[in-house]
Amino acid sequence: MIHAGLNAYVLLSALLFAIGFFGVLLRKNTLVIFMCLELMLVASTLALVAFSRFNGTLDGNVFVFFILTIAAAEVAVGLAIIVALFRSRRTVQVDELNALKH
Amino acid sequence: MLQPAILILLLPLLSAAVIALFLRRQGGIAAIVSTLTAASIAAMALILALHGGRGEDQVDWLTLGGFTLSLGVKFDDLAALMLVIVGIVGLCVHVFSLGYMHDDGAKARYFGGLSIFMFSMIGIVLADNLFMIFIFWELVGFSSYVLINHWHEKTSASDAAKKAFITNRVGDFGFLIGIIWCYWANGTVNLTQLGEHHVFSTAIPLLLFCGAVGKSAQLPLQVWLPDAMEGPTPVSALIHAATMVAAGIYMLCRIHVLMVPDALTVIMWTGAATALYAACCAIVQSDIKKVLAYSTLSQLGYMVAAFGLGSLATEENGIKVVIAAGVGAAMFHLTTHAFFKALLFLGSGSVIHGCHHEQNIFKMGGLRTKMPLTFWTFTLGVAAIIGLPGLAGFFSKDAILYLAFANNKAVFAVLAFTAVLTALYMTRVWRITFFGAARSESAAHAHEGGLTLTLPLIVLAVLAVIGGYVGIYPKVFTGVFELIPEAHGSDHTTILITSLVVLILGAGSALLFYKPSATDALEERSPGLFRLLASKLWFDEIYQWYIDKVQQRFALLLNFLEQIFLAGFIVRGGAGLVGLFGLGARALHVGKLNVYLYWFLAGVVVLWLFATGVL
Repeated sequence: MIHAGLNAYVLLSALLFAIGFFGVLLRKNTLVIFMCLELMLVASTLALVAFSRFNGTLDGNVFVFFILTIAAAEVAVGLAIIVALFRSRRTVQVDELNALKH
Repeated sequence: MLQPAILILLLPLLSAAVIALFLRRQGGIAAIVSTLTAASIAAMALILALHGGRGEDQVDWLTLGGFTLSLGVKFDDLAALMLVIVGIVGLCVHVFSLGYMHDDGAKARYFGGLSIFMFSMIGIVLADNLFMIFIFWELVGFSSYVLINHWHEKTSASDAAKKAFITNRVGDFGFLIGIIWCYWANGTVNLTQLGEHHVFSTAIPLLLFCGAVGKSAQLPLQVWLPDAMEGPTPVSALIHAATMVAAGIYMLCRIHVLMVPDALTVIMWTGAATALYAACCAIVQSDIKKVLAYSTLSQLGYMVAAFGLGSLATEENGIKVVIAAGVGAAMFHLTTHAFFKALLFLGSGSVIHGCHHEQNIFKMGGLRTKMPLTFWTFTLGVAAIIGLPGLAGFFSKDAILYLAFANNKAVFAVLAFTAVLTALYMTRVWRITFFGAARSESAAHAHEGGLTLTLPLIVLAVLAVIGGYVGIYPKVFTGVFELIPEAHGSDHTTILITSLVVLILGAGSALLFYKPSATDALEERSPGLFRLLASKLWFDEIYQWYIDKVQQRFALLLNFLEQIFLAGFIVRGGAGLVGLFGLGARALHVGKLNVYLYWFLAGVVVLWLFATGVL
């Protein structure tokens, strides 16, 4: 079993965050953007868990509990919005969701 | 203790409010409400003046930092006397209006206007500080506007109302500056506190006098009063003869503690000039109301001159006593004038009503037999104004003449000559209106009005006869009446002879010169003089020229500058700048979610740079 160091965890976390971030910036489907957002959240929790593990304290874990709780609520609301959006507009492509401008 | 006074003040306001809110279509009920209000005002004013105490009280109304505007009541002998005059004359006019305005289409508006006028006038009478006087002063101007404008479908009436209002504004501007200056210099505008101590200044009383010039129609702001005769005749009697125009005199008497000799000299000459000017104009008028209007102007000039003649020092048991004789003489003449001028105006109203709204005296004639009651009461009014011995005007005019004789002989000469002219034009109008044969269809069918028209005439005629005997007034007005100057010894004889000569000269020449005919005798014999007097010294024309050629052009220039700098540069320029910024900001909002994300990213980067101290 390879014993991974803290740097490896942080690097993975940063990678995941970057994937999520660029997904949010570049993808056009609201559902995918939403998933990317969740990915960013999870990436940050990964870093927190790693910090907690290597510092030997529970601070990071406590953070993670809160983040997961908030994320669960957010997902429930966000998905509901997307479903409602699709029902009314028959699309979830951000390019076509431009009612604020027009 | 002052609750009754406040009640008197608020009662007409209540009446006006009730009429305006609920009785606009019920003219008959409105008339009764308003008249009953006037009756209770008169009754309460009498009770309060005779049995109520004197005092003052105030409450803070508005506090702005260190500046406090208070509302208060100052009820002294002067206020009590004025309140009684307003109450009695007001009641007579209300009753007269019941008959005179019986068939008018807008009775509710008319009687509501009368009520609001009573409210404003009583407010001036009771006010204890200059700011409060100013508030009610403007309200009086407003009610005057409403009532002159009563027959607003006539262009001349609406023009006259506007003229009255705007001319008064000119005077009020000076008045307001005077009040502010007075506050600035003395730290108070309360009349009692000013009486205790104040700064001596010529400008303050003169600026305050501007208000009186406007309201009491003195030269050079006299132009509005003759035109105001476009209003219904009872209004002319109440507002433009007996009470409102007297408010200027009353206000002067209120502030007489502020007076200094220089200011008094200006006031004296203004009054004397107005008295003479208006008497000259009155001689050539053919409209019965216009004659009375100029006569009012002339008598107001008398009062102003009397006030300006100032105090009188008398020797009493070896001690020199200075009394404010100007106040006494002015208020005395105001009192008697209110009675006989209201009588004359209501008499003319009765004549006009009887002659089916004919106002030209040369188309009347022969009314002596057709309207005997009007004739006799009018005769008493004429006798009172020309100063027939024993009647009201005789005493008050003598007091003024004596004051002038003692203080300034030149003014005495002017006033005595004015008295000649007064006797002349009043006898002229009396003779032409009531004697001879009827000279028109409407005069031939003239008839006496009903009880509401004649009863006020009788009441006022009685007052015009007895109003001059100071002894008959209850002792409660001593604060005013003890100031009336009285001639003694040889002065007394001189004044008596002067007034008799003046009377005989004026009335006699009128009786010789003017025969009841359809044309003006002066116009036939001396057309040049007639045209000069009829021109009224071109005051209206000069003002018209000034407005057209100077004020209007100046206003155009200001408008031009305003368009460029205010409206153009500041307002439109400012709006344009903001609009330009908005245009730029609008470009950021493209309506695409991922674009906003880039903005968000940029914002985060900037925030991060700021947090790390790079920016």
